[in-house]
Amino acid sequence: MQDTAYKQVNPNGKKKFEMTYKNQKLFWAVVFLMPWFVGLLLLFIVPFFQSLNYSFYKLTPQVGEIVFEFVGFGNYLFALNEHVNTATSTSFSVEMINTMTDVAFNLPVLLIFSLFMAVLLNMKFKGRAIVRAIFFVPVILNSVAVASALGGGSIMTEILAQQGIGQIFDLQFFLIQSGLPEFMVSSVVGLIDRIYDILSLSGVPILLFLASIQSIPNHLYEAAKIEGATGYETFWLITLPNVSPHILTVIVYALVDTFLTSPVSAIIQRELNTQNWGVSSAMAWIYVLFILGVLLIIFAIAKIFKIGGSHYEH
Amino acid sequence: MNINVNASLSLGKLELIEAAKERGKSIRRVRKFQSILLSVLRGLLLGGLCFIILYPVIQQLLLGLRAPIDSNDPSVIWIPKNWSLQNFTLAAIVLDYWDALLNTFKLSGIAMVLQVASTALAGYAFSRLKFRGSEILFIFVILTIVIPPQALSLAQFLYFRELGLIGSENSIYLMSGLGQGIRSGIFIYIFRSFFKGLPKELEEAAQVDGASVFRIFWNVMLPNARGAIITVGLFAFVWQWNDTFYASIFNISSDAFPILTMRLINAAENVYAALFYTGGLSLIGQDVWSNPMFLATISNVAALLMMLPLLIMYLFVQKQFVESIERTGIVG
Repeated sequence: MQDTAYKQVNPNGKKKFEMTYKNQKLFWAVVFLMPWFVGLLLLFIVPFFQSLNYSFYKLTPQVGEIVFEFVGFGNYLFALNEHVNTATSTSFSVEMINTMTDVAFNLPVLLIFSLFMAVLLNMKFKGRAIVRAIFFVPVILNSVAVASALGGGSIMTEILAQQGIGQIFDLQFFLIQSGLPEFMVSSVVGLIDRIYDILSLSGVPILLFLASIQSIPNHLYEAAKIEGATGYETFWLITLPNVSPHILTVIVYALVDTFLTSPVSAIIQRELNTQNWGVSSAMAWIYVLFILGVLLIIFAIAKIFKIGGSHYEH
Repeated sequence: MNINVNASLSLGKLELIEAAKERGKSIRRVRKFQSILLSVLRGLLLGGLCFIILYPVIQQLLLGLRAPIDSNDPSVIWIPKNWSLQNFTLAAIVLDYWDALLNTFKLSGIAMVLQVASTALAGYAFSRLKFRGSEILFIFVILTIVIPPQALSLAQFLYFRELGLIGSENSIYLMSGLGQGIRSGIFIYIFRSFFKGLPKELEEAAQVDGASVFRIFWNVMLPNARGAIITVGLFAFVWQWNDTFYASIFNISSDAFPILTMRLINAAENVYAALFYTGGLSLIGQDVWSNPMFLATISNVAALLMMLPLLIMYLFVQKQFVESIERTGIVG
């Protein structure tokens, strides 16, 4: 029936090649995902399993090749029980636990703080562009190279310490010079340091929240204003539900970021640099398991409270 | 009797109107007071935070602008006694600044474009072109975010050595183009949640009008995701600019192709040697370069020089960022 109808419309009888919308979608999904998938296979999955493999071996570099020696779970046991960081006299397991508790306390604070700041920065006021630009500065400053240059490098610090100068470019130095009592100086400096830490971690979350607040259609706010809603109500009923799909993004980002900038990551890096490749792989795997555990908990909570679903899907 | 009632009624009405007017006034007064209070509090909070952020930067800048001779003059705290750009010229020599700037710019720019392209496509496919198994594939995206680069770098290094990509910036381009660059997983995640947040009606309307899947992506969805594109582009650029991890593992920086971060790290480790090898020492006297404070200043100024282009560029992109609010493009 349909075929004859089709032929009536197209008297030439030539059947045009047409895909259904669903098949078209599948086709483009494959095309769009192709580069990522190739990268995933070659640059992620293969190294991923190789690194799992390395973590069970003791690797010793020889001329032109690497000698493998099977040690079973030896690397893992070493990382958890015996590893001592000579530089800071802490161990991998202690740092791991410290980082976990840090994450548990800092993550909610970071989330609320950055959402609050994003709402503030989205308001209309004089000098908004400048303030936003300033809030991005910690993201730029948050670089290993800049940090090492500002710290003056290891040799510089040594020279300065020998001369009894210590850290020169310090707020403390200037405040003591300006004649404030010492206990006040130390508390002010401590407070500012902590705020700076939070600010440097929250730079990216603030921008993510800001971008997502900006993607909320303006007419929602206009309608709410006409209905006489207060700023408080518009926040809870419009901003928050619309931002909620991005809350999970921010959580994942902040979680990974805290782990990547934690001492744990530094220990893994040091083991890698000192060619303890097996141990460093084992540590990386312990770290991965921990972070996956935290993520599973967070996703379970998000599922229960229905955070993160699109507002428009309902 | 009737007239009396009427009169008292109308009087009551008048009173009611008067009272309502009064109330309106007081509400308006309260609102005005609230808005003034809000802006004062906001100003204090933002001002304080901006001060905390800017304090070290301003301090570095003023320290850098001192003449090298004054670098540890205790009588100078904020405003330099003798203004001079000599610290900046010396730091620029140490960094091989203009060559390194150009190279870093090229590296970050190309990597940014590749990253945005590969992650936007993947993010769109994950949010709008769902198929059986796409949820499972997305778990791998989360894995790429979560697994630290240190765990993969050794295997990647050995792999790239076989391909002959070590020591060339093509290794970074390959990683970025295949969606495995610096924090590509986060970018895919960002794009996915942005495309997910766009209303379904947009796609349906375009579909009814007979647009193909690719056209919907290119002409409808992508313009609406401008905010996400700018955000991701910004991060991709900045992180590539600041990257030291991949640059050192893939050994990208060389004398022929200097990049800013690696030069800066080398300089920071030993400013004296860096000044010596680049011939900067001959420009100043021994009484100056034997002063550790001066060497520290040079390394600080070098850090400042590395950040400056990013800050200037951000000021331009920032405008676009603001504009994307006004044109969300979705008409209810």
